[in-house]
Amino acid sequence: MTRNLYKKIINFFIIIFLAIQIFIYFYNQRPLSENFSQKNMTVENFSSIVLSKSGMTKIGSEKLNKIDENNIYLEGNSYLENKEYKIYGENIFIKIEEEISNSNDPVKVINSMGILKSKGFKNLDNEGIIIFKGEVEFLID
Amino acid sequence: MINKILYLIVFLLIFSSSYSDSYVKASDTLIWDSENKKYTANGDVEFKNDKFIAYSDKMIANYIEENNEEIFTTVELFENVVIKFKDEIFKGNHAIYTKNDNIIILTGDVSIESPTRLLTGYELIADIDNNKRILNSADKDSLVEVLLENDSND
Repeated sequence: MTRNLYKKIINFFIIIFLAIQIFIYFYNQRPLSENFSQKNMTVENFSSIVLSKSGMTKIGSEKLNKIDENNIYLEGNSYLENKEYKIYGENIFIKIEEEISNSNDPVKVINSMGILKSKGFKNLDNEGIIIFKGEVEFLID
Repeated sequence: MINKILYLIVFLLIFSSSYSDSYVKASDTLIWDSENKKYTANGDVEFKNDKFIAYSDKMIANYIEENNEEIFTTVELFENVVIKFKDEIFKGNHAIYTKNDNIIILTGDVSIESPTRLLTGYELIADIDNNKRILNSADKDSLVEVLLENDSND
């Protein structure tokens, strides 16, 4: 009698244990039904390639800060590079949808004409226009 | 010996970074418009190439691309234009330089100053390759030639 009771108790625990296992299995497999969006994000020593209307641009930074879905802040030494230019600067803001990047810190640009240095820049990439601000020196090869 | 090599490397680095045949400098902005292939410089503009050095308030330089290189074809200067070419100084309100024929055309209150003379007029065509200067006047009275003395004791 007692032995039969032990068996029932053991079986009960085995069933409970299996039920928990099944629950854990399905819970882990269930796809996330909610849209998950992390608004603020920081990545260190970042580099990536961005495809836009104006072509392919390689970007890199000591620290990339994603402000929101449309705005990126490249903190510290950063660069933007495509087939027409290489921009080396610091603290560059990028508006992804508008394809605008700008910085108020010194910048060095290398293109097929020479090397340009200025106090800051605003790059209207989809218009093919870069405005270099402050004192500008452009050494032509 | 190592010190000498280091000095030589440092000297070469300084020399290579400071030396450039051509440059553009501006105090306000420089706009690179790659779609229209032009550079626009604003504020105390200084432009130098292997022929002359020019100063103005604004500059627009058009370029072409050849063998993956950008080459200026025309350089247009606006307001308070001063161009120094060897021992001559050209002044005017507007100037346009075309690289193909190496000709500078200045207009508006133009003057040419050299060690021996000062000429003023309305339009100056300076042909650099052929060393020719044509000074046109809006009317007969606007062309003035002044001889400059090199020595004040003469």
